This record gives sequence, C-alpha cells and structure tokens, in this order.
Amino acid sequence: MLCAMHEWALADAVIESTSAALGGRDPSCLRTVRVLVGELQAIDREIFDFALRTLLAERPFREAVYEVETEPAAFHCEKCAGEWVLSETASLTAETREAIHFLPEAAHAFVRCPRCGSPDYRVVRGRGVSIASIDLRDSAECR
Amino acid sequence: MDPRVAVVGKRLARVRRVAGFCSAKGGVGKTMCTSVAAAALAAGGSRVGILDLDLQGASTHLFLGVSPRLPGEKEGILPLPVAENLSLMSVAVFTGERAMALRGSEVSDAIRELLAVTQWGELDYLLVDMPPGIGEEVLDLARLIPRMESIVVSTPSSVSIAVVERLLAVLSEMDVRVPGVIANMTRGNAGGVRELARRRGVPFAGEVPYEEGVEKAAGAPSRLAATGAAQALLRALAVMRYL
Repeated sequence: MLCAMHEWALADAVIESTSAALGGRDPSCLRTVRVLVGELQAIDREIFDFALRTLLAERPFREAVYEVETEPAAFHCEKCAGEWVLSETASLTAETREAIHFLPEAAHAFVRCPRCGSPDYRVVRGRGVSIASIDLRDSAECR
Repeated sequence: MDPRVAVVGKRLARVRRVAGFCSAKGGVGKTMCTSVAAAALAAGGSRVGILDLDLQGASTHLFLGVSPRLPGEKEGILPLPVAENLSLMSVAVFTGERAMALRGSEVSDAIRELLAVTQWGELDYLLVDMPPGIGEEVLDLARLIPRMESIVVSTPSSVSIAVVERLLAVLSEMDVRVPGVIANMTRGNAGGVRELARRRGVPFAGEVPYEEGVEKAAGAPSRLAATGAAQALLRALAVMRYL
C-alpha cells in the first residue's frame, strides 16, 4: 500500500509547512515550492511525489508547482577534515539502508570516514527532506 | 526551511499529555522513572507511549525488554508495541546497540525527524526519557512542544540537587511547566529534594525509595508495574494531577 509508507509523513510536512508559509494570503499567491530530498535518506521518489500530489489536491493552493530535486549527500570528517560522498562509503546492508531511510542520523552508527575510520563526522548536505525556497507572487498579482 | 517543524503538533494532536522526565544530572534514574511510570500507567489501563530521546544512551528498550527492530509504517513510522497499552520509539529501533556519535545540530535533526514521522495515534500520556543536561533535547522540545511538561528527577545527593537546581532555573526562564520534582533512590533522606522544590517554587511530588527489586524486574513491564517504585511513581503522578 503506497499510502502506508513513511514518505507520506514527509510529504505531509512539506504541504503543512507551505500552508504555514502562505499564512493568510490568497492561495493563488503561491507559485513554486522547491523541495530538496537528500540522497542519504533515499526516499522513494515515486511514493513521495504521489503523496505530494494527493495531499496538494486537497488544499486551496493546489495549483502551486512543486519542484522536487535530489540533493547528493556529502560528509565532512571532523578528525581528518576529509570530505566524501555517499558512493565512497562502505557498502551497507539493506536493513541498514532502511534504518537510515527512517532516521538519517542512524548513519552515524554504521558509516565511518573512509579515509581515517573516524565516527566523528557531519553530514554537510543531502541529509533528508527540506524546502529550498517558496516563491510567492506579490499580493497585487494574486487573484 | 525545515518542513518537519510544521507537523510536530499534528503528530501529537491525539496525545492528551506530554511529559519529559528530566534532570541535568546523569545517573539519577530518569530512565527507570520513565519506564516504570509508563509500565504502571499502562497496567492501569492508560494508553502510554515512551519516546526515548537519550540519543547517545538509549536504554528504555533494555528496561522494558524490547528487542530493537525496524518499525512498521503507516503514513509515517509506528512505535514498537511493548505491552498492552504501551509503545516505544527510540533511536535504538534504528541502531540497535551500536553507538551513535552525534554533534549538536544532528541531535536536533534526529529529534525533529522522530517527532515529525512517528505516528503515535491516540494516547493518554507520552512520556519522554530525556538525556542528562540542558542541551538540544531540552531546548528543542520546549520549542517544538510548548505544552510539554518537565517532571524533574533528582537523587538526595547534594551534587544532584545543586545541578538540578540549575535545570529548574532554566526551565523557569523558558516558561516550561514543572508539575513536580521527584526524589529518586531515597533512603529516608528526601529532605534536600523537598527543600529544593520549596526553594524553586515547584511542587514536591514525592519520593521513590531505593529498591533492588527494580533492577531484577527490568526486562518485563508487568514485573516493573508490580514494584514498590511503580506504586511510589503512581503516587507522585497523582500529586502532579496526572491521575
């Protein structure tokens, strides 16, 4: 069941967040919402996009355009100052990938710096779902 | 913009009360109080959830005898069922017994993610096992869940009382409601904690005497609910008007 997946909670967060940003303005003021989905969380884009469309259809700002882009994940080691990308990490089991999918910070239990082996690193980008921008028309341009 | 913040209230909309067991001092028994209180409330018929926010020292699952496993999904993730009326969400669900070294902003990220995607459903109480200190967990929850109350735990130790007094001062500055202070692991010496509560103008909820049997009951919610500590915690919850 697509609607059972946890991507729905994230899509719901995007829609609710947009609604909050729109505030009391006319729904037609909302033009474009740019959403970033982090590579590390590895959400199912088909389910996420479907959830977004379904939840958006129930809202007064249903004509807004949601542009969803995948943001590549990158890590910075606090010990050796090395930086790496997800494809450079040691291979992860399906269960570990699923754990990170639910909670990206779980990566810290499984992933180590590929250069020095340190557990002390940061995910500098590409973690999870975020809203990069919300484009609103000037009030005079809204219906 | 972080979209998760917008749905925290929605996820907790059907939770009647949210209470964090807090203490600035480690080792005072927050996890024991959270786990035993939850087991006792659930045994009495209340629907109870436990959120273990001690990200680097998650242990409520050990207290409750829960084997970590990945959660089910239903428009989010579902807390693990522990016993009748009792469910748990913990970082251990994802990491098992592995250590997770996290810096500040990532602690906040993990907290927000858990709050945004966990579908608790209808609960009478959500009890939060807080880590020691006055860090991201305390600050984030105060901001993200303004209605959350902080049940403060201290042992009779003068060191614990001194450190907990600082937490009470900060909670007061942040307008976080403290329904009571619990003196834990007492041996007829709760006076210092009672005096601390009086000094800070918060209710003294009662004491939980030290009891070796609690450790032996760990791993089984039904046994935890039958301990003297469970009865003491239920009395404290009644003083704090949770019952």
